Amino acid sequence: MPVSASAIYFLNLRGDVLINRLYRDDVGGNMVDAFRLHIMQTKELGTCPVRQIGGCSFFYMRISNVYIVIVVSSNANVACAFKFVVEAVNLFKSYFGGAFDEDAIRNNFVLIYELLDEIMDFGYPQNLSPEILKLYITQEGVRSPFSSKPTDKPVPNATLQVTGAVGWRREGLVYKKNEVFLDIVESVNLLMSSKGSVLRCDVTGKILMKCFLSGMPDLKLGLNDKIGLEKEAEIKSRPTKSGKTIELDDVTFHQCVNLTRFNSEKTVSFVPPDGEFELMKYRITEGVNLPFRVLPTIKELGRTRMEVNVKVKSVFGAKMFALGVVIKVPVPKQTAKTSVQVTSGRAKYNASMDCLMWKIRKFPGQTESTLSAEVELISTIAEKKSWTRPPIQMEFQVPMFTASGLRVRFLKVWEKSGYNTVEWVRYITKAGAYEIRC
Amino acid sequence: MAPQAQSQRSPSPSQPSGKGEVSDLKMQLRQLAGSRAPGTDDSKRDLFKKVISYMTIGIDVSSVFSEMVMCSATSDIVLKKMCYLYVGNYAKYNPDLALLTINFLQRDCKDEDPMIRGLALRSLGSLRVPNLVEYLVGTLGAGLKDGNSYVRMVAAVGVLKLYHISASTCLDADFPALLKHLLLNDPDAQVVANCLSALQEIWGVEASSSEEAAREKEALISKPIIYYLLNRIKEFSEWAQCTVLELVSKYAPPDSNEIFDIMNLLEDRLQHANGAVVLATIKLFLQLTLSMTDVHQQVYERIKAPLLTLVSSGSPEQSYAVLSHLHLLVMRAPMLFASDYKHLYCQYNEPFYVKKLKLEMLTAVANESNTYEIVTELCEYAANVDIPIARESIRAVGKIALEQYDVNAIVDRLLQFLEMEKDYVTAETLVLVKDLLRKYPQWSHDCIAVIGNISSNNVQEPKAKAALIWMLGEYAQDMQDAPYALEGLIDDWEDETSPEVRLHLLTAVMKCFFRRPPETQKALGSALAAGLTDMHQDVHDRALFYYRLLQHNISVANSVVNPTKQAVSVFADTQSSEIKDRIFDEFNSLSVLYQKPCYMFTDKEHQGSFAFSEELGNLSIGVDDQRVEANDEDLLLSTRKEDSLPQQTQGALVSLDQNEPAAAHAQQTNSVIDDLFGLGLSSSPSSSPSPLLKLNAKAVLDPTTFQQKWRQLPVSTSQEGSISPQGVATMTTPQALVRHMQVHYIHCIASGGQAPNFKLFFFAQKTDEPSNFLVECIVNTSTSKAHIKIKADDESASQAFSALFQSALSKFGMA
Repeated sequence: MPVSASAIYFLNLRGDVLINRLYRDDVGGNMVDAFRLHIMQTKELGTCPVRQIGGCSFFYMRISNVYIVIVVSSNANVACAFKFVVEAVNLFKSYFGGAFDEDAIRNNFVLIYELLDEIMDFGYPQNLSPEILKLYITQEGVRSPFSSKPTDKPVPNATLQVTGAVGWRREGLVYKKNEVFLDIVESVNLLMSSKGSVLRCDVTGKILMKCFLSGMPDLKLGLNDKIGLEKEAEIKSRPTKSGKTIELDDVTFHQCVNLTRFNSEKTVSFVPPDGEFELMKYRITEGVNLPFRVLPTIKELGRTRMEVNVKVKSVFGAKMFALGVVIKVPVPKQTAKTSVQVTSGRAKYNASMDCLMWKIRKFPGQTESTLSAEVELISTIAEKKSWTRPPIQMEFQVPMFTASGLRVRFLKVWEKSGYNTVEWVRYITKAGAYEIRC
Repeated sequence: MAPQAQSQRSPSPSQPSGKGEVSDLKMQLRQLAGSRAPGTDDSKRDLFKKVISYMTIGIDVSSVFSEMVMCSATSDIVLKKMCYLYVGNYAKYNPDLALLTINFLQRDCKDEDPMIRGLALRSLGSLRVPNLVEYLVGTLGAGLKDGNSYVRMVAAVGVLKLYHISASTCLDADFPALLKHLLLNDPDAQVVANCLSALQEIWGVEASSSEEAAREKEALISKPIIYYLLNRIKEFSEWAQCTVLELVSKYAPPDSNEIFDIMNLLEDRLQHANGAVVLATIKLFLQLTLSMTDVHQQVYERIKAPLLTLVSSGSPEQSYAVLSHLHLLVMRAPMLFASDYKHLYCQYNEPFYVKKLKLEMLTAVANESNTYEIVTELCEYAANVDIPIARESIRAVGKIALEQYDVNAIVDRLLQFLEMEKDYVTAETLVLVKDLLRKYPQWSHDCIAVIGNISSNNVQEPKAKAALIWMLGEYAQDMQDAPYALEGLIDDWEDETSPEVRLHLLTAVMKCFFRRPPETQKALGSALAAGLTDMHQDVHDRALFYYRLLQHNISVANSVVNPTKQAVSVFADTQSSEIKDRIFDEFNSLSVLYQKPCYMFTDKEHQGSFAFSEELGNLSIGVDDQRVEANDEDLLLSTRKEDSLPQQTQGALVSLDQNEPAAAHAQQTNSVIDDLFGLGLSSSPSSSPSPLLKLNAKAVLDPTTFQQKWRQLPVSTSQEGSISPQGVATMTTPQALVRHMQVHYIHCIASGGQAPNFKLFFFAQKTDEPSNFLVECIVNTSTSKAHIKIKADDESASQAFSALFQSALSKFGMA
């Protein structure tokens, strides 16, 4: 049984029901009360997203200020249920245009009821593809004050699409200007010891695509990954071009990608959905280029004084620069006074987060910047415990840089009408969990 | 945040309001019902929206049912949907009114627009009113043959809905056969998927009672069907793929070539963006290769990367679901993951539930080559601000040490923890050091030196305190001030709340006494005196035991308290391998997250019993807890008596010579036991049971056995009984009935519910043989009816018992 959800609830932070949909009768109507009583009003909240109460299991997830709760009475597939919730939220977002929160739900509750009816029947997930659903459930259908004839649209045609073979794209799309936007977004996760050795480091990347293409185009994407290049060399029987190749640990693709062809030829070919979607995700652990090095020294001078020195080096190309760099240097709770000097950006003590918040708006490559601070502490007699230092955390974005070294070699578009397309490619590397112990 | 939320909410239509508004709505709806003026639909929409929003926030708007139905004649599809939703919600409680809706729903089922046909059919199935099923059969039959796939897709699930409302109607109409036909022939993948889901559920339930259904269930996993589905796998939606893969994982291919064919076909599924598909594929691969050890191992290698990707992408909830599965695999084959330990390092901001799983896995994968790194990492977490995680990581370090890797270095680290001087770190470490010493007595020297410096005042947690006391006793000869530390602890006996600590204190002081008699004599005396007056039964008994032992023979006492001990080689495993295998078989389900097989948490009795499921919420913690509660009460009853015992002897102990209390105590004990018997007899039966069947007045059955038997035994009798009106009047809680039945030697093991519905579980035993009768009794006080299900060890006696039970039940409230 994939999910067989008995009910789904949308609650606000106080536990008021925003939306509820009972799919099956095997759970009672007062499941919300059980959830409120046994999870929301206890310390349990946040300790585990799956809980059993009575004979039922509750899966819950918080998204902005809304709790989404799925109740099941059988031995359900949890991974599937969570994925369903995530997909459903994405679907709602695509309908309301962006935000998913309590207000959005309240303003669109009829629409959500309509959608819940379509995406799940008797607890089994049905069609969740926004492209197809939008053909017959339109927000305008609810909103427009003058729609006395909402069935104007050729609905029978739409129903054919509901279960069509290329479920993610409808036919007959026309654009004046055919454009494709590719965004390669990587986030670097790093855990570095205080001595500067890398404990753990990986890159999770995704390729986001925005397509405005007419007709039913066939796309082919080439990357500089090792296996793909070798395979290509093998097929064309010519030696691999020199240059950096990278090894992908693992790749997953959007359902539009022809996986059989990927496995045999190692090329990514697909008929894209219309609009925005996530084409692929990958993970890399070998040969990661860290964009920043952080060298902290924190000295505790007696009970009441500390000296903090943090040096940050940018190790990407000199022509590039990082944006929105934030470095959070932890200080003890009983900090009384700080005096901070930085060579660039601004830094100040943030009492609510117990850290020195150092912000640098623009950080050029191949440069370094330092922070030195003196911290005075309130001396406490009761607190004889030594301070346990949380790691330094860092946020940044480096445009046109990939920590993995991944590059798009080509993106080809074929369509039977043979139009020209404009392709745009952007790269950006962000900080994931970038932690340096000190 | 709160006031802001309030202000944002005010313009929305879903503000709770009083009854006045509902009757207002009723008026307005009525006005609109007949109107054909332009713009009516728009005003209707606003009103419908209000109704639905009231319904959502829990205001009862069932009173506008007939008006809603009257307004439902519309061509506006959104209005229709809102109306369907409303009707679906309230039809169950207003079966008569629901009949009104049948008309328009049936009309819509014949609409020319397939969308409307589908919607109407779906709503018709969602009415859940048993006496309307006759209308459903025809429309469903037509729906399954509809030319449009959308309608067929809805109809397939509709059959399942019908099955849950009335299984017999569904089977009589031969719908399963129709579904099977569609399953094998429909061009649309979603229709096929829905047929598959429905058939799996229907035959899954039927298989236990009908041979034919069992055959059909088997046929689903036969080669032709499996191959047919696999060949179409790419047509299915991601969710349907999960269903198919799950089904295929039950299929056992006859030879290995076939296994490889299937795996080759599905290997690309491991690259699917939907984690659920990936997990389903992993399950399939693991199941297929179970008998081929080498390949099985290769599968582990192959699935590692996708699993690790899934863990690191998505929300914490999603990665928790995946991590639980990774956890299961790591526990099965730790060595295969030994080189991937760095992926299991915790990030600072991860939630507790993720970190905890990672810590357990880190512990499991530790081996000779990576222990140093792992322990170093774990020590970082021990200094973590998050106390539960700090504790978990210290425990992890200890577990690794117990696995014999690099013990020397680890002992050093553990001892360093003690120097951190944090209460919880010290506490956890003490417990671990104790376990380590039990396994590696050779390290006692290093440890004792450090332990000796710990002041017992800094240790508050019972477990840690007990560990410290154990070490004080065990290594009394090596620790200078062991007797005095113990003496200090005994002085605070009165303030020590934990019986565990007091027990350990008694034993430790005994051990210490034999090693250093002159220094300990005083402490031993006061410990025994304190123990004998202790309120806790175990503590009291142990003190008495030691006291008599010492009186009897000192050297025997020594050999009892201080036997030569062998180092513990293996600590007991908490879970049997059988259970672990069960969980593995249930891969990709809740079992893995709960770390127990599904029979332990899904009470099958509740599935399919639709009528009484409403109670579940009222039972709140459910039947299991109720059972425990009931059991606890029994226990309380008996311990209360026993608790009074030391109080009575207290006076004697203090004043009398040390030889006296024992005798005095024995006498007291006897009288108390008499009392206990007296209590048992006091509730003598008011009416004797029928001569045919004699029931045991003091039958005992523990809740687990009950549950087990309830699962195993078939239902021998199932019927309706009635309750007297007087009985109904007194039945505000289930306890009233429980007491009544007890008089008839029928004991309650669990009960719950709220008026008018109660659910009770009873049991009874024959006097002369250990033959049990188990009863599930569902009482509805508004109809004065009780639905009874009886299961018996001895089927032949069940009729007699049933008669007995019914007569007892009918007399309820009459006595």
